[in-house]
Amino acid sequence: MPARLSLNAISKHYGPESQQVTALNEVSLSLEEGEFLAIQGPSGSGKSTLLNICGLIDHPSSGDYHLNGIAVAQLNEQQRCTHRRQMIGFIFQRHQLIPAMTVYENIAYPLLLNNISAKNTRYEVEQILTTLDLMQRRKHLPRQLSGGERQRVGIARALIKRPQLVIADEPSASLDHQHTHTGLQLMRELNQAFGASFLIASHDPFVIDHCDRRISLLDGRMDDRA
Amino acid sequence: MNWPLIAIRNILRDGTRVISTLLIIATGLTALLLGSGFMLSTYDSLQEMGMRTEGHLIIIDDNPAPLRGGSHQQLTLDNWQAIQTSLWNDERVLRVLPRAHFEGLIVNSNNSAVFFASGVDPQEEFRVHGPFLRTTDVLDPWIDPSKNQDVVLGVQLARTLNAVTGDLLTLKIMGSDGEVNQIAVRLAGTYQNGTPEIDDHTLMVSLTTAARLLGTNNISQLSIYLNQSQNAPALQAELQKSLNNVSVQSWQQRSELYHKVKSLYDRIFGVMGLIILVVVFLAITNTVSLATYQRREEIATLSALGTRPVRIYTNFILEAFLIGITATILGMLFAYTASHAINLSELMMPPPPGKTEGYPIFIYISWPHYLLISLVLITVVIGASLLATYNTTKINIATALA
Repeated sequence: MPARLSLNAISKHYGPESQQVTALNEVSLSLEEGEFLAIQGPSGSGKSTLLNICGLIDHPSSGDYHLNGIAVAQLNEQQRCTHRRQMIGFIFQRHQLIPAMTVYENIAYPLLLNNISAKNTRYEVEQILTTLDLMQRRKHLPRQLSGGERQRVGIARALIKRPQLVIADEPSASLDHQHTHTGLQLMRELNQAFGASFLIASHDPFVIDHCDRRISLLDGRMDDRA
Repeated sequence: MNWPLIAIRNILRDGTRVISTLLIIATGLTALLLGSGFMLSTYDSLQEMGMRTEGHLIIIDDNPAPLRGGSHQQLTLDNWQAIQTSLWNDERVLRVLPRAHFEGLIVNSNNSAVFFASGVDPQEEFRVHGPFLRTTDVLDPWIDPSKNQDVVLGVQLARTLNAVTGDLLTLKIMGSDGEVNQIAVRLAGTYQNGTPEIDDHTLMVSLTTAARLLGTNNISQLSIYLNQSQNAPALQAELQKSLNNVSVQSWQQRSELYHKVKSLYDRIFGVMGLIILVVVFLAITNTVSLATYQRREEIATLSALGTRPVRIYTNFILEAFLIGITATILGMLFAYTASHAINLSELMMPPPPGKTEGYPIFIYISWPHYLLISLVLITVVIGASLLATYNTTKINIATALA
């Protein structure tokens, strides 16, 4: 069985050749099905760039990336969009909720994109709202929520469609310990029930300790001292 | 997912800018509707004037004999009484008025002036002209066939002659053989229609007087007035088929003024409309461009979640459509209210070229036009939003989310 994702010598450069900035420098890693992988590193180490490339929202400058055995370089934009819709869940550091959608609509949106029936959508969304203690907030708009509530909605939106790969950038930011614990528990349930893999960038020791494995990035390179 | 509701929430997020855009579109639509309402009323007025002046249909000699000179060279229709009698039996026909056009010299003890005259049916002529030919001090005998040796002058021609109602005047014409014919007439009143060519130089006598002066019963044209204008094309075709040696023309074929004014107004309002549509187009492009720029993170998030570009595109179009619909309703209300206010205020337009009198501004409220112009405007709004969002879905997701 192929690895959930496999990166081989992935590099990412920005800017013109004379003033080139290297965000990632020949990073190689593999994430197996059902694995929790934490990515550590200081700000500017390339964590977000790595997550973006793994989540198919950015292109590497060089190197090979395979997702579920598929060579990502061969996918066109429409196919990348379809893969994101069907296979990948995103937890953004700054929540990135859709401001004009209510909590319910934000969480239900990935199911709508995947043509899940209204009845099943309602059931799934109400379940996750209850688990994440958001039922009372389901009709609220994002601007009416606290930072922690927004982050929980973001987590719910990423997990609701039961993706094969979850990309999480600081998922515990703005969350208290109790809700961090609930969120991680939910991730673990998804992981155990459906073999979902998690790629998590975090500074939170509690989150990192929860992961099966960790890697560290420094100045765009894998830091072997981790 | 209730997309219209989400679109409304997005629109309300941009309150101030949306209000200004709404007002720009609504004002543009109001201007278009008022302009087109005025244009329609002007066209209608010109049509009415054309029909009342010439008749719905006009019968003239198809192949007049070679001109021999003289004051009555236009008098070439000779068998008109038979045509008139047969037309009276047609229930579509309201009136059939013979007119004999000729020119000559009018003289009184003070002065003389060249005139262009019409021999007319004194009982009917002023009725058909309605408000387009206003009379002053016209004596009753003018419509009495037994006392038909009267003349009615254009108001300015009467002033030129310094003549007042009741004065005796002499009409002189030159016959086809060069002889001078003349007849004494009494001034029975004046008329005015605001066109200098008519008010300064024309007069009317009864057809009997004209025949006596001209020495012929021939006329220039038979003007046919119908109960309903829409019957004109069918009757024109029937008459053209059944009558020999005459040409049956519609008033449009003879009304150069109508076509010139319509062409001028079409161009003026066309350019005005185009400018307004361009302003609306730019306003919407600006609003949607700013909205998409401010919402690039949201667009990037939607893309990251796997939303198809067409869905993102559609959301923005839906928002523009809702703005367009709201602005259209507002614009219609503004235009409707303003039209009524203008019509009630009886504001006057300055005299148009070739006229000496202004006329009251009247704005037509035509719902088919309202709908048509609103549809054009909404199409422009959607077109502008399509242009503004064209590159939206090509956004770099990673950069927008950074």
